[in-house]
Amino acid sequence: MRDLNAPANPLETLAYIIAQQIHDHSVVYIGTGLPMVAGILAKKTHAPNITIVYESGGQDPIEGDMPWSVGCPFTWRKSPTIMEMAYSFAQCYNGYVDIGFLGFAQVDRYGNVNTHMIGKDFHHPKVRLTGSGGNNDLSSLMGNMVLVGLQTPDKFPEKVDFVTSVGHLNGGNSRREAGLIGNGPSAVISPWGVYDFHPVSKRMQVKSLTPGVTFEIAQSLTGFELLKPEGEIPQTKLITDEALKIIRTQVDPRGVFTTMPSA
Amino acid sequence: MAKFVYNQEAVDNLHLSDTSILDRLIDFESAREAHSKKEHAKKDKRMTIGEAVATFVQDGDIITDGGFSYVRTPHQAFHEVMRQGKKNLQMIGSPNTNQSFFIFYGLVDYSHNSYSGAEMRGIDRLYDRALKHDKITVLSEWSHGGMAQGFKAAQLGTPGVASKQMLASDIVRYNPYLNVIQNPLKKDKDPVVFVPALYPDVSFIHCHAADKYGNAYIYGPAVNDLAVAAAARKVIITAEEIVPENDIRYNKQGQIIPFFYVDAVVEMPFGALPGSMPGCYYWPRQWWEKCMRWATLTDENAKAFLDEWIMNIKDQFEFVEKLGGAKWIAEARRQTKAAEGDNEDIDFSYEEFTLKHDSGLYY
Repeated sequence: MRDLNAPANPLETLAYIIAQQIHDHSVVYIGTGLPMVAGILAKKTHAPNITIVYESGGQDPIEGDMPWSVGCPFTWRKSPTIMEMAYSFAQCYNGYVDIGFLGFAQVDRYGNVNTHMIGKDFHHPKVRLTGSGGNNDLSSLMGNMVLVGLQTPDKFPEKVDFVTSVGHLNGGNSRREAGLIGNGPSAVISPWGVYDFHPVSKRMQVKSLTPGVTFEIAQSLTGFELLKPEGEIPQTKLITDEALKIIRTQVDPRGVFTTMPSA
Repeated sequence: MAKFVYNQEAVDNLHLSDTSILDRLIDFESAREAHSKKEHAKKDKRMTIGEAVATFVQDGDIITDGGFSYVRTPHQAFHEVMRQGKKNLQMIGSPNTNQSFFIFYGLVDYSHNSYSGAEMRGIDRLYDRALKHDKITVLSEWSHGGMAQGFKAAQLGTPGVASKQMLASDIVRYNPYLNVIQNPLKKDKDPVVFVPALYPDVSFIHCHAADKYGNAYIYGPAVNDLAVAAAARKVIITAEEIVPENDIRYNKQGQIIPFFYVDAVVEMPFGALPGSMPGCYYWPRQWWEKCMRWATLTDENAKAFLDEWIMNIKDQFEFVEKLGGAKWIAEARRQTKAAEGDNEDIDFSYEEFTLKHDSGLYY
């Protein structure tokens, strides 16, 4: 049983902010981990009528426990249909999916994502990571992709070590010219800030910051130059007591994805 | 001398000196010939997993798996391949079930990747070390969806499909099979990736039920399995149970692999262990945590763990005994049925394996 009185940790904060991106009645493509928490939180709070689809092929599962894996039966619990993998991604291409969430190991100023490796030498990386999975497919095909992860200068570098998934490529119209579908990533969310992309240059800019975080702090956590919006930077809406309680009692009571690794 | 013209940038980036190693995966003519020559008659194809592997897996083959995310993946058949010590294998698949175990024992030299790791349980440190120590050569990088399109293209009966996935990413620069071409019908510039049809040599697919001829039934996510069954030169079905043909005809329509694709039918209850099997058993979650958090830390740990659970084990029944026997079976069935909404909801709490705590339990 989780301590209901402890202050929100960064993962819970993140899950709440992600959930706020989800509008009711939309079709939501969910990757493994925190996005699962956010999707189910949204469904239990402000967006009860969303349809969640998963990479396993699971479509619109009925409510259950937190999936242990993206292939877990909770991602296809009594689904009216379960898609083969090729068809599951095709839903994004064909325009049926309204919003998707993906993680990253590195993201650059144009929202290009790396989940392949850390290091410069493909054959002898510092660390080999998982590779694409479905990350590239969603990024290539989605109009409204939200990238979710932790923020340090290494994770927000000038240049990612491997372009697993194309965001806005080199900025401007380069994504469209390269033939990719949709408008590309719409937001990047870290515990410290919510970022979006300049409408013309497609460079990452600050949209709102977590209370206590200034632009200077956000910049110091970023390996490239962040764009600063005109005027005062809004504060990200903090997790409410009610949402925190729902995460801890209903969405992720065992803390599978929302307890800090050291805890 | 290679039969095909490959994406030269990727060939260079991957340091491939002889590209003929790439040929068989996309060699439609030889796949069609294999499909034409295999047994088309409706015959009893039952055999043991030992016989199936000895007969249908040759050194140098490209092997692939069914299932996804350690769900309905053919682990126990793969364990037998490892015990028989096949050599110079290539592996392709999404998930590419435990290719790092094969590499560790020196069976697999080449990989076609779309994902390696175990989600939140962590990255595959065994694969990471294999790469750094030049024990594995990557022949191609993919996305899950791109690879799925390659298998699907084979099932569709086409040389390949035009895709909007993987465009402009480094995946295209590390995949010799991919070429970016212009959509011929568009007036404006419209790049697409030509994804060739993919033909692995051997598909292992673990199913819920099969008849003795090879008609095989899948419940739950089918992932790429219907496609890889159609594509592969040889198909080995392992099944939780062997049922009469009429049971398939009357009761199990839906996701069926047709018998004439199939070379061998193996009765193999618990064949997906240590993965989960829809309707039958949930993951032994601590097994994966111990594997990813402890076994992959060092080669010594890996050897101890993999020897204990794979190399020194006779069959899947011994595996079940080590997990906890009949009690494990009952608990794992209760868990998966509850997760699927076919049992009353239960508490999914368990004692997680950490480096500081090993309960010895696997449920």
